[in-house]
Amino acid sequence: MDPVAATTLPIPGLLLAGSVAALAASLWLLLPKTSDTVNSRRLGFVLGAAALIGFAATGRSLGGVGEDAVFLTVAGIAVISGLATIVTRSPVYSAIWFAMALAGVSGVLLVLGAQFLGVATIVVYAGAILVMFLFVLMLAQPSGMAPYDRVSNEPMLAAAAGAVLLGLLTLSIGRLSAAEPPACCRLPSRAQAMAAAPTEGAGSEDDRSATLLAPATAGVESVDADEVAHLGAELFGRHLFAVEVAGVLLLVALVGSIAVVSRGEATETDHRRESR
Amino acid sequence: MIPATLLTNALLVGAVLFCLGLVGILTRRNLIVMFLSAELMLQGVSVTLVAWSRYHGDWGGQVLVVFVLTVAACEAAVALVFVLQAFARTGRLDASAWQALREENLPRVIDHGLPADDRVVPSWPHLSPAGVLPEGDDSRSLERDHV
Repeated sequence: MDPVAATTLPIPGLLLAGSVAALAASLWLLLPKTSDTVNSRRLGFVLGAAALIGFAATGRSLGGVGEDAVFLTVAGIAVISGLATIVTRSPVYSAIWFAMALAGVSGVLLVLGAQFLGVATIVVYAGAILVMFLFVLMLAQPSGMAPYDRVSNEPMLAAAAGAVLLGLLTLSIGRLSAAEPPACCRLPSRAQAMAAAPTEGAGSEDDRSATLLAPATAGVESVDADEVAHLGAELFGRHLFAVEVAGVLLLVALVGSIAVVSRGEATETDHRRESR
Repeated sequence: MIPATLLTNALLVGAVLFCLGLVGILTRRNLIVMFLSAELMLQGVSVTLVAWSRYHGDWGGQVLVVFVLTVAACEAAVALVFVLQAFARTGRLDASAWQALREENLPRVIDHGLPADDRVVPSWPHLSPAGVLPEGDDSRSLERDHV
């Protein structure tokens, strides 16, 4: 990138550097360590709030996050709950915070206009996967606060690495919007080309089925009333083979997990018999 | 179609979730919390994919997220089975309980000494006893003092 573009970056570099440093320090203070005190955790919370506000400010300078209060709310829920997921000591609370983060992510997907995926995230993740996690926690929870939940591996290095990676990603997202060419010489995206193309009238039933069967024309309008229908047409039209492969994958995972469980139980009883 | 400002903000949220999951999977030692962190990374990638999909008006990203959901379900099922097996063998959910499987030239992870009894005892709600005290204290050993 030439120096002119670098100087006209939409992100103030000092703000971004400060946010990265605050996020690294906050993660390091909040992650489970041997030398934790109440005050260090409080300082970590304060620094984490400062880092979040800094990143939200970079988002505002990128686009205008303050305009959309709903998006800001659900994104805040997702990010704060994600942070709490990785810093909470008790794994049960961690799972509960992850459910909260899923609710936030689902809200973000709804704001983005992906209604089916927003609902499917709640149903599949929070309803099935998370309940499975909680069952395993119930089966495999040792009594007493486990020492491995109170000590983490290399918290300082990992926090610095994560914060620096986030800073780099933010920088590249900012360059993405900065490097956008002016409208005169921009290649039209596929959706714009579709919007420019004359659309057929969707009056009769035949036209409706024709649009359903031609998923390339889907997703033109800003508010998509037939979002699920279009997604289903795309999924079972162009990606039918992948759907079949996913079905086989689910079956293999089912059979494999049952086989591992039954084999493991057999060896456990064998061990017990031998020890007797 | 979504505006470019919403795209960048959604990409930012996805990046934050991905980085938080990365830090979690690097630092935490509980196997289940490590898997939760991996799921957090998947969520970040899903948000990014949906944002690009909506921006370009293309359904490919959302279809990919459907497959991400499928693979996450399979992964969680198989992984949790292995976590249960590991717990049955070692009695711990610790990832470094399996450090005997490391390379020969790598050092051993040694826990620093934990402070003995600085655990903050949570204040659970206290219910005043009512009715007859049930006989038998055998179930007392199965109770946990925390979650």
